[in-house]
Amino acid sequence: MISAALAWTFERTGVDKIWEALFARHIPEAKGPVAWLYALGSATLFVFTVQAVTGTLLAMNYVPSPDHAYDSVRFIGSEVYFGRFIRGLHHWGASFMVVLVALHMMRVYFMASYKYPREATWLAGVGLFLLVIGFSFTGYLLPWDQKAYWATMVGANIAGQTPFVGSYVSKILIGGAEMGAATLSRFYALHVLVLPALTGGALVLHLFLVVWHGISEPPKRVEKGS
Amino acid sequence: MAWAIAGISAAIGAVLGGSGLGYFISPAFAKREEEWVDLGSVKEFKANVPLKIDFTSRKRDAWATVEKRASAWVLTPNGRDFIAFDPKCTHLGCPYRWDDSQKKFLCPCHTAVFDVDGRVVSGPPPRPLDRFSTKVVGGRLMVRPSSGGEAAA
Repeated sequence: MISAALAWTFERTGVDKIWEALFARHIPEAKGPVAWLYALGSATLFVFTVQAVTGTLLAMNYVPSPDHAYDSVRFIGSEVYFGRFIRGLHHWGASFMVVLVALHMMRVYFMASYKYPREATWLAGVGLFLLVIGFSFTGYLLPWDQKAYWATMVGANIAGQTPFVGSYVSKILIGGAEMGAATLSRFYALHVLVLPALTGGALVLHLFLVVWHGISEPPKRVEKGS
Repeated sequence: MAWAIAGISAAIGAVLGGSGLGYFISPAFAKREEEWVDLGSVKEFKANVPLKIDFTSRKRDAWATVEKRASAWVLTPNGRDFIAFDPKCTHLGCPYRWDDSQKKFLCPCHTAVFDVDGRVVSGPPPRPLDRFSTKVVGGRLMVRPSSGGEAAA
């Protein structure tokens, strides 16, 4: 009965072939601590999933307006069940994302995994790295406390140092001549709409290329010269 | 090894999924807060003479506090027990008034008449005047205004 239902589904959707291609593919033989380095990409994907889920939950009780942002964040921490935990996960997950992405990038760089034919995977990964930085920068403002406000002020001032077009870049970034309500709603829109959409696209491309090219072998020690 | 991985994964999934689910369904366990409003000293009310009191009720709405202007008709038979009527006619919600010569509450919209206890004397209202909960704390009359015409007995 169950096998008949599965066969029916597989024949019409091909999910068994997709499953095989994704999870039954060849993985390089690596032993010892080096093997753990191959988990960094998956770890990043896992934390990203946690960020997406906890972020969605937080958005249910968050208002990106100067009147309510700070109070709604406090409300999450004090009134909502598991609110402190969910917000803590999102807070720490944000730091973990940056750390894991950096470690993953170092692994790929030092093992020379970015070389032919995996340049496109590397480029998609660089895009994802920049998106993670974008998430960090926009998300940092949302609690609307002193630290968030002044950190974003510093970021806007740095953007303002761009030669020739600095003042325009800074104004576009904060949504006006001064930081305020428009900055907060702009950062919120970037954080929950724009960046997730871009990340979704880049992530699909990155993962497709990882599966398509296969995982690169770890570098081998050569006894006699090179 | 496979079992250890499955077990650890299940534990992580249970913690993350469980707390996420708890967060999502937490409104189900939210309690309605009791919003008592101070209407003044009990000495200000004369026996058997209804008095209309305007007040501002503060209600917490999640992270915000909203202020609402409201009023109540307060009646006391003896200066100790108090009745607070919702100032809206139970027919269609018009504000009624007290007519001291007839000793009746009169609603101008559809000529409804209530007696001093809020019972319907004549007119279309389907039920007596709605009442707010009252209590006396330290010589101050407190009411809990309920919205939407639900009778607080």
